[in-house]
Amino acid sequence: MADFTDDIFFATITELNAKLKAREFSPVELVRAFAQRLEQLGPRYNALALPLTGPAIKRAKDVDKELKRERTRGLLQGIPFGAKDLLSTAGQPTTWGARPYADQVFDYDAAVLQKLDKTGAVLIGKLAMVELAGGGGYNIAGASMFGPGLNPWDRTRWSGGSSSGSGSAVAAGLVPFAIGSETSGSILTPAAFCGITGLRPTYGLVSRYGAMALSWTMDKLGPMCHSAEDCGLVLAAIAGSDANDPGSAHKSFYYTPQYYRPPKDLRIGYAPVDFAERADASARPAFEQALAAIRETGAQLIETRLPDLPYGALTSTIIVAEACSIFEPLIASGKVDQLADPKQIAGLKAGLEISAQDYLKAMRIRTIVQQKIRRLFTEVDILLAPSRMGPAPKADEPLDHRPPESTAPKDLGLSALIPAGNLAGIPALSLPCGFASGLPVAIQLAGPPFSENVLLAMGKEFQTRTDWHRKRPKVE
Amino acid sequence: MNDKITRRRLAAAALGSAAALHAASRQAPAPAIPLDLNAAKEQGRKYSETLAKFDLPMSTEPAFQFKA
Repeated sequence: MADFTDDIFFATITELNAKLKAREFSPVELVRAFAQRLEQLGPRYNALALPLTGPAIKRAKDVDKELKRERTRGLLQGIPFGAKDLLSTAGQPTTWGARPYADQVFDYDAAVLQKLDKTGAVLIGKLAMVELAGGGGYNIAGASMFGPGLNPWDRTRWSGGSSSGSGSAVAAGLVPFAIGSETSGSILTPAAFCGITGLRPTYGLVSRYGAMALSWTMDKLGPMCHSAEDCGLVLAAIAGSDANDPGSAHKSFYYTPQYYRPPKDLRIGYAPVDFAERADASARPAFEQALAAIRETGAQLIETRLPDLPYGALTSTIIVAEACSIFEPLIASGKVDQLADPKQIAGLKAGLEISAQDYLKAMRIRTIVQQKIRRLFTEVDILLAPSRMGPAPKADEPLDHRPPESTAPKDLGLSALIPAGNLAGIPALSLPCGFASGLPVAIQLAGPPFSENVLLAMGKEFQTRTDWHRKRPKVE
Repeated sequence: MNDKITRRRLAAAALGSAAALHAASRQAPAPAIPLDLNAAKEQGRKYSETLAKFDLPMSTEPAFQFKA
């Protein structure tokens, strides 16, 4: 029996696979060790929605048998993982993080879970999330039936949302990787705040069949891992065409970063104002170092900015209008009042008043967003910006707590890259790049649709030059 | 002030009956609107105004059948 140390709990998928191959431990031993750790420490961060230790060990025994017969399925075989609790798992509760759905049980597995099962990866637990993925507009970390997502680097801080449990579970070494979802920032934010690597894929690349719908035109599922390489490996397993997802792009994805242009051939757009003025003062040294590391790759840095468009009004109008249609029965029944965050309740109720005229206007302006962002990518290959402008906020303060507006510079730079990128459906990768006040901060790389390999290659290059992604919080 | 035509009001108006209006108001006693709801509605109005100010070519179609 192997001695499971932090070196194993914080290992990458490639490292764990090498140890499995070397028979340092079996899949059953690995799954049992992670599952016990998730059950024991998950509640400490309000990260665990549902432990699946029993079914996981049963599944791991099947994987053991396969490996003994030398039936190999790739690098994910025998690797434990967690999934955001908006993915349906047959016969198990899927709560969407919301009290009104606490007893909800589906009779099928989400497409991404089916795909991961085929690779031999083993689901060890469902992970906590912000209720209904925050569709009504939440303002407290405690907007979840599981309580506030707590950050493994400092439990008085928020883990980020809405994939809060996915972020903190990976960061605390409770799962080697997790599946999160993003409608507007829900992968990038917890990845940044928790110091892990998160990938938001192009809209339509990963099937959402079996995932809670919040916004049909903006929802995406993606990996949250210890490295860019791990994100590539997991994306390769979960991407692909699916007739059950009306938004499917019917494209496949093969993780082949070696075949993409080297960094010296890439033009990277960034806005100096983001790094020097818009970022929290405590985070600026880390962001400046990250910028220097990107420059050292040989990539050409080009100053740019986002087109001036009403990104906030667009994302809110589209998400809330679609969410209110999806959750109309919840709102009409009055059960919406069981949600934890009064702002969410109010947002969903008020959202019923969004007119068709406003929704259509927002969707028409969104066409302009797509066109202008596409044009921007004729000038640069990648956009670079801080994932969030500073470290995680305190878990007991309102999330809209901000410094006075007068201090913000007029030049918006790329500060709206999260809503703009989600409106345009483009991929983005969040990479840990240092610390501010003892908490992780991160940069994001965004590229044109289906440029995941370019982003992952650049991310991998960044992570060969830095070791921020290997830093571990003290987990007790 | 919420001057939207609700389904109940519409039904009451269609019936043309004061009694129906009375019944509708009895079924749904107007609760004190919480501060959060007012703030959410106000935010929605602001977004609506922002969108209204944006000039679009008539030929611009909505991003339906959305593809990245």
